[in-house]
Amino acid sequence: MPRTTTVECPGCPPLRALTTDVLGLVKVVEVREKVGMPKVVETWGPPDASRSVVAASLADRKTNPLLAVARKNGLVEFLNPLNGNSLATVKVKDSVSSSNSTEDEPVAGLHLLGMKGTKPSSKLNKFLMCTTKGKACLRSVTVGDASPGSSLVDSPITWNVCGAGSVLCSSVDGNENFALFGGKGVEVNVWDLEKCSKTWTAKSPPSNSLGIFSPTWFTAATFLSKEDHRKIAAGTNNHQVRLYDISAQRRPVLSINFRESPVKVVTEDLDGYTVYIGTGCGDLASFDMRTGKLLGCFVGKCSGSIRSIARHPRLPIIASCGLDSYLRFWDTKTRQLLSAVFLKQHLTSVVLDTHFSAEEIESADQPSDLQANDHSEVENEEELPPKIRSKISRKKAHNKNKADKISREAQYDEMSNDNERTTIDSTDDDDDDVLPATTKRRKSLGGNEKPPKHKKSKKSIG
Amino acid sequence: MADRKRKRDPAGDGAKAEEEKGSRDGKEKKRTLLPSLIKNKVKRMAVHAKVKREKRIDKKKKKAKARADAHKRALELGEEPPPVSIPRTIENTREPDETVCKPDDEELFVGNDADEFSNILKQERIPKILITTCRFNSSRGPAFIQELLSVIPNAHYFKRGTYELKKIVEYANNKEFTSIIVVHTNRREPDALLLINLSDGPTAHFKLSKLVLRKDIKNHGNPTSHKPELVLNNFTTRLGHRVGRLIQSLFPQDPYFRGRRVVTFHNQRDFIFFRHHRYVFESKETKVDSNDAKAKSAKGKNLTQTKMIARLQECGPRFTLKLISLQHGTFDSKGGEFEWVHKPEMDTSRRRFFL
Repeated sequence: MPRTTTVECPGCPPLRALTTDVLGLVKVVEVREKVGMPKVVETWGPPDASRSVVAASLADRKTNPLLAVARKNGLVEFLNPLNGNSLATVKVKDSVSSSNSTEDEPVAGLHLLGMKGTKPSSKLNKFLMCTTKGKACLRSVTVGDASPGSSLVDSPITWNVCGAGSVLCSSVDGNENFALFGGKGVEVNVWDLEKCSKTWTAKSPPSNSLGIFSPTWFTAATFLSKEDHRKIAAGTNNHQVRLYDISAQRRPVLSINFRESPVKVVTEDLDGYTVYIGTGCGDLASFDMRTGKLLGCFVGKCSGSIRSIARHPRLPIIASCGLDSYLRFWDTKTRQLLSAVFLKQHLTSVVLDTHFSAEEIESADQPSDLQANDHSEVENEEELPPKIRSKISRKKAHNKNKADKISREAQYDEMSNDNERTTIDSTDDDDDDVLPATTKRRKSLGGNEKPPKHKKSKKSIG
Repeated sequence: MADRKRKRDPAGDGAKAEEEKGSRDGKEKKRTLLPSLIKNKVKRMAVHAKVKREKRIDKKKKKAKARADAHKRALELGEEPPPVSIPRTIENTREPDETVCKPDDEELFVGNDADEFSNILKQERIPKILITTCRFNSSRGPAFIQELLSVIPNAHYFKRGTYELKKIVEYANNKEFTSIIVVHTNRREPDALLLINLSDGPTAHFKLSKLVLRKDIKNHGNPTSHKPELVLNNFTTRLGHRVGRLIQSLFPQDPYFRGRRVVTFHNQRDFIFFRHHRYVFESKETKVDSNDAKAKSAKGKNLTQTKMIARLQECGPRFTLKLISLQHGTFDSKGGEFEWVHKPEMDTSRRRFFL
């Protein structure tokens, strides 16, 4: 047989990712096993090029999560990310444009607010929207289950971000008090969302030693850490990654060149200094913004421009997608490709539904004791490999892989346990809210007693 | 059982034959000198090469004979002849690829309807091509362009001058061209081809090699000015499909079949081979085979049979393309987004193909 080298992907922990593409489809990709390969579970919406998704945002809450997608035909649609039901639709035109303009302006950025809010109200959802011409709009929408028709509660607050140029990127900080905008001919500027006033504008760096001035063209920007709105990481079209510090100066504090194609997306890590950047020819890299050093590249067979990167808030995983129509999951520590799934269309954005875990589904299917047995078997297997290894050298690699997989499994297990503890605490609060039945998580079907019991059984073994 | 028997028998025969031949060879070898005993190196090499060649031919013959025997035996026994073994090639042991287009894929067809080429392929727009070159262009470049003009209907050559490509794209958009072809030459030899689908279509960058012009092709024909038929072979994956559609959008979608002129783009192992032919259907008179003639000799001696055959004549240039990158949007070397770029890290296997 021909010798073919296939790189084995180690697989992912339980995950749920939603991707949007140029045909307007929303695809749900899930990993159900402990360490497994992602699969396309559901596809929502009819394929139609005019409904091509431009921007997407997910309000990633335990209860009442909401997915907002801005489409090419000038509609913003609100979906239930659990079952894909359309909850509300808003026209961009009547919220953004003043009376006389007729044509649709493409949406450049869309952000759902209320992720951080103390009490997620079930009905009212605030969102920030910005068109490429620089018209930003803050408004809220009521989301009802009954009718897809929209009813707006308040009149939108609209303001102009820029006079000329086109806005290409926008971001909202963790506390949702500030938003930033940047684009072609638009310097990065920060706005206070409460007062709707501009608080800070960047200044372009001076011309270089040859007297060449590079025109402003921001293609991606984000706040560097969730808590702090003063540090901004931005990527430019002339392949630079820049760090701005509002408290220090208006010019970039740090500016790094990376290869030769434009930076298309910048995403911050949780630690507050690492950023992940994706470029126009499919390079994915991480930078330490304290020192400006390249931490490393994510090497895979990634051949198309990267459009979106999402960081998982608990697991050390990022998801990237782009024009090569693959959704890829990477380990942030080892920078190894965990798995890739082919989604057929040019993808525009990816969001991670973080309140998903495979145990929810399993616990609904089978009693938790059985699962505990499974776990003990896994532990037994862990001891096995050395014996076999001594016998047959050929199997070595395979076993090593297996051991690796098992250790990975254990690692993710620990993490998800932590995750569970926190989520269990939060469920008590959530139950007080009056919820529509359909938006409840699947977990609630399994009952609240089960997870703790399951945990106990695990402890007794270990 | 039968299978096994059949397999064993020819093998046995072969072994016997080999023994006989071996003994004969031995006698011959005793008579002739062993090549290793020859002192002169040149002579020794020549003899050795000869011996080796004979051995190889012998082996081939033996194999063919064994196969024929097996076939014959199967026919005698009234069994099905042994299946013709298919040689293992790099193409048919290609790495499995999940991006290969499937005919039942609904998303593919909707995607096709929505893509940049659909208005040309649905004949809503007639393709109009602008051909230009790089800034310095001489000798084989212009000759190649002249032939391209004869291959692609409704193509117009424009001198490059000192215009930037982005300006040319803008100009062509205003003049309602549907695509641009840029022939890049290096050292007076065309070495790259850029296909830009206009308004906002993708840009494909190909490496061009093995260019043979019309006058260098033996017995070449001269093409007519009819709209050619187009043959696109083996564009299987999503990327290949897209490239195929890009190429398809260069040609008018209503070929004049009576012109009998074919343009072929054949993809094999990611190399796209371009050929341009004229064909003709001829009725050829052949004498009926001697066996049949004996049977029918009663009827008439000079019995002939007319058979329709197609004859091909190559005309026009011959070249090979290899995709280097496919860019999203029109040409933009600095800020462009790529749908696919060839990267060296992809070349870890000979059996992985992208088109």
